[in-house]
Amino acid sequence: MSGRAEAVVMGVERGGVPPEIRALCGPLLDTLIQSGMPLTVTDHRRPGEPLVFANPAFERLIGCGFAELVDLPFGFLAAADADPGILAGIEEALSADRPLTADLRVVRKDGSVFWDRLRLTPVVDSLGATPFFLWTHCDQTLELARAEVEAELAASRQALTNARERARLAQAVGGTAGAWEWDVATGRFYADARFAELYGLDPVAAGNGLGTDAFFESIHADDRMRIRIAVAGVMHGADIFSKDYRVVGRDGTVRWVSARGGADRTADGGVHRFRGVLADITEQKRVEEQLRVAQTAGGVGTFEYVSGFGTVSVSEQFCRLLGLHPTRALPVRTVNAVVHPDDAPLIASLDGSNPGEPYREFRIVRPDTGQIRWLAQRGEHRRDGKRDRDGGQGAGGLGGGVRAGSRFIGVIYDITASKDAEEKLRLFAETLEARVEERTRERDRVWNNSRDLLVIIGADGVCRAVSPSWTAILGYDVNEIVGRQIQDFVHEEEVETTAEALKGAIHDQNLTNFENRQLHKDGGTRWISWNTSKEGDLVYAYGRDITEDKQRADTLRQTEEQLRQAQKMEAVGQLTGGLAHDFNNMLMGVIGGLDIVRRRIAQGRLNDLDRFMDASMASAQRAAALTHRLLAFSRRQTLDPKPIDINDLVMSMEDLLRRTLGEQIELRVTMAENLAAARSDVNQLESAILNLAINARDAMPDGGILTIETGRATLDRAYTIRHDGLSAGDYVMIRVSDTGMGMPPDVVAKAFDPFFTTKPIGQGTGLGLSMIYGFVKQTGGHVRIDSEPWRGTAITMYLPCDGGESMVDGSLIGTGETPEGAGEIVLVVEDDESVRLLVLDVLQELGYTALHAAEGRAALNVIESSSQIDLLITDVGLPGLNGRQLAEIARRRRPDLPVLFVTGYAANAVVRGDFLDEGMDMVMKPFAMDELAAKIRGILENRHKERVGATPL
Amino acid sequence: MTFAPYALEDLETDALTELVNIGVSRAAVSLRKMVGSQVTLSVPSVEVVGRRAAVTLIRERESDQLVAVRQDFSGAFSGRALLIFPEANSLELVRAVTHDELSGQEIVDIEEEALAETGNVVLNGCLATMANILQRPLAMSLPQVMKGDGQILFELSEEPDDNGVVLFLYINFAISGRDIRGYIAMLMDLPSLRSLKELIGEFIARVVGAGGGDG
Repeated sequence: MSGRAEAVVMGVERGGVPPEIRALCGPLLDTLIQSGMPLTVTDHRRPGEPLVFANPAFERLIGCGFAELVDLPFGFLAAADADPGILAGIEEALSADRPLTADLRVVRKDGSVFWDRLRLTPVVDSLGATPFFLWTHCDQTLELARAEVEAELAASRQALTNARERARLAQAVGGTAGAWEWDVATGRFYADARFAELYGLDPVAAGNGLGTDAFFESIHADDRMRIRIAVAGVMHGADIFSKDYRVVGRDGTVRWVSARGGADRTADGGVHRFRGVLADITEQKRVEEQLRVAQTAGGVGTFEYVSGFGTVSVSEQFCRLLGLHPTRALPVRTVNAVVHPDDAPLIASLDGSNPGEPYREFRIVRPDTGQIRWLAQRGEHRRDGKRDRDGGQGAGGLGGGVRAGSRFIGVIYDITASKDAEEKLRLFAETLEARVEERTRERDRVWNNSRDLLVIIGADGVCRAVSPSWTAILGYDVNEIVGRQIQDFVHEEEVETTAEALKGAIHDQNLTNFENRQLHKDGGTRWISWNTSKEGDLVYAYGRDITEDKQRADTLRQTEEQLRQAQKMEAVGQLTGGLAHDFNNMLMGVIGGLDIVRRRIAQGRLNDLDRFMDASMASAQRAAALTHRLLAFSRRQTLDPKPIDINDLVMSMEDLLRRTLGEQIELRVTMAENLAAARSDVNQLESAILNLAINARDAMPDGGILTIETGRATLDRAYTIRHDGLSAGDYVMIRVSDTGMGMPPDVVAKAFDPFFTTKPIGQGTGLGLSMIYGFVKQTGGHVRIDSEPWRGTAITMYLPCDGGESMVDGSLIGTGETPEGAGEIVLVVEDDESVRLLVLDVLQELGYTALHAAEGRAALNVIESSSQIDLLITDVGLPGLNGRQLAEIARRRRPDLPVLFVTGYAANAVVRGDFLDEGMDMVMKPFAMDELAAKIRGILENRHKERVGATPL
Repeated sequence: MTFAPYALEDLETDALTELVNIGVSRAAVSLRKMVGSQVTLSVPSVEVVGRRAAVTLIRERESDQLVAVRQDFSGAFSGRALLIFPEANSLELVRAVTHDELSGQEIVDIEEEALAETGNVVLNGCLATMANILQRPLAMSLPQVMKGDGQILFELSEEPDDNGVVLFLYINFAISGRDIRGYIAMLMDLPSLRSLKELIGEFIARVVGAGGGDG
């Protein structure tokens, strides 16, 4: 059993017609199903023509539920006594896909057998195949029984004829009929023995004469009045007495009698005697009654036509079937006038050329309602030349003299219901094709107008049909695709995934938004998003061209890149600002030193000039070093690779690093012993370590451990081959690792890109790692990053080992001396030593007493001490605690402490208004000594005024 | 075919049938005198139908052109009486009443006169007898011969209303061994039918009350 067949069955169990059949047949099928006509559908594609649908009417007919019948081959219908010839005929019709009508003996569930008039109709689909056969069933037993009724009727008619004949004979031969004589004058009534027997009278008494009441006493009560009136009629002058009525015998038996009589009249018309004969017609009446019941119950009307007569003897049922007033005789013309003009007349002339057909069907237009009905006529043509008509009952022919000819005895019955069903079926079959066409047209409209790619793919992957949209979207003509593998039109990179997806779709795993690239005839490709559904063995695929969507996504990505680029440019701006800040500091040292020297020379104070000259020089050298670093970033620096003892370098940096990292971060240094010398540029290396340490610090905003370790490392070929320009061998390793937030892999991948930064704008230049990378690479080394989000980052520099030579140590420039002062006490916090020196000197010259600190925490110690402080001068950009934070803390201690900020970073000026509170001011580096003096004087004087103003209170 | 408003009960129909039987028997006596041979007339059945149904009915049963002798009557019940034959039968009747002595052309010439006379005998005998038995006087108009279909015959000239009824009395003629079938139709309005029904009721009461031994 295939999955499809099961699906069909399931559809039925949900209580309806299998959707596939409904799709083919349309709404007319429902009217057929509901018409009460037993109907079944068989699956023509499966062997044995199994049943896949049966309507309730069929279930009733066969006495069996659909569930018991489903999937039975059609042959289950046939009863044991079914005609094998008819079965063979059905099979032949099935195999030839043609309709058929056949009468088959069919067995019900209870074993009873009936005549089933089968009508088979192939249900054709749009492809011309016949997936189903529609069967209608009609219990013909009744109709075929009519044939039996007809035979019975013929027999009954014969019996009736015989009975009438007997009655006639009885009347003619007095011996079998009773006779009576009613003497009107004497009021006596005489009857013979037969009459007495029928009437239940004493024969002797009847012979001797009885009172006339005796004539009525034995008559059945229901008939008595009628007979009294009839007798009264005779007494009043009626010539003929002819009545059929019932008499009740002495034993209570009821018999029908026929009385025929008349009056003997006197010359003046008066009645002298009333006499007649009485015959027993019980049997005749019984047969007549049977005939009437048979006709009424079976809906069968009888007629008899004798050739040449203008009238037809008919039964009342015959008249009712034709919609005429019930009567016993009708003119031929009247009967034929009822027949539909397109059909042959019911009563045909019976001359030799037209003996009358034994069975035919015809339509009538009922004169009473105008309704069209189908009637069937069966009959028998007899050429017995016998005239068998009962003129006494008003059935006499108008033609009068015709005495001999052919007779046609027939029956008619209504077959409208059966015909209607047949007609409906015929119409259904006829219109099926048209409806399939219409639906095909509708489907074609969708198919042809669709802007999506539509394709029907067989289980073999071959395109059965494709929509014209393929030409519009992919350039291929429909004919170029149909019959070929869908895979032939798929981009080679997606052939595999498409094959996988198609396999799924064929196995009922419908695709949803499966994307692949389809080939365009022009050699390009289009991105298509596919959805599929499977019906039968076919996959229906709907593809939407998403090329533009994809392009839009690309554009978006590019835009994002551009934005990032713009952000980088902004970062360059930030960098420039930062560099300017650094340069300003350095220039401050240079210019300031020179300024002092000049003043001193002017004043003739030539001692101690060297100090200021040295400071200026140092600043200028640091500026040069910065330029070096910038060049390193651009990889155009002039490196001076020398053998370096890495351990010494790291040790010399330890203090600087601790200062840079602040209290929250613990610095651990692990150094390998007997480490070989590395060959590198000492300044650059120092700068690189510092940079890495700062990055590590920034990655641990809440504190953590920063580890610097040194060691020897061997990079094997397997590793170095994957890195351009790196050779295998021994290296000196310096690793800076933190316990910070780490980086996700995509960030790691970009970490060496110039300007790439994870820091918010303004917090970093993004140059650090790329500069390190550039420098290390330039010296033949290597850098690697190991990072895990939330676990930390380790950056390892591999420096090439050096053969020997004297090593350089990287000690920094030493700190300056502390100047003494007088008057107000000023605390100077400045990390740039040159600047600090200059400021202290200026203050000294101006007569202030200067305290100084190189960074925030040292300054706080002073602030928290009890020593007097009249003014705080602080750099804004301090390592660790910055100037602003320092000022805040200081103000908490000493609320009125005036603060003068010194800044070399122009960006801070922008927020000057937000930055400065009451009693604060700012001076920009580089500044002239006079400017600084004016600021200090101004701020102290303001404070003095406030104090004076506040004192009286 | 009967209709509730003017239906006669079975017994009344039987009685009416007998009344007409008596009437045509009398007419037969008159005809017998006219034609000098055995004439038997009988009325086997009676039907009361609406006028419109009567047209249908006669059309169903008689497809040929019809010939009718018409006489209007008035009295306790009023209306129009028709003796109707199929046209083909009328010549047969004329031939019968003229003893087959006339040539074809002569028969055609006297057909109308002969029919009028025969009709008069039958209808007059019938209606007069009924009136007599029902004990009511009835005035009759002169006979008139008409030809046409049922529609024309059953039109009551003056009144366009369709409330009228038709009493169909089938009548079999047996003249000189010929079977001739015809109808007597009595066209009446509903009041007349009601009167007739009452009179029949009285008649039934009389005959049954008299034990059928009415002399």
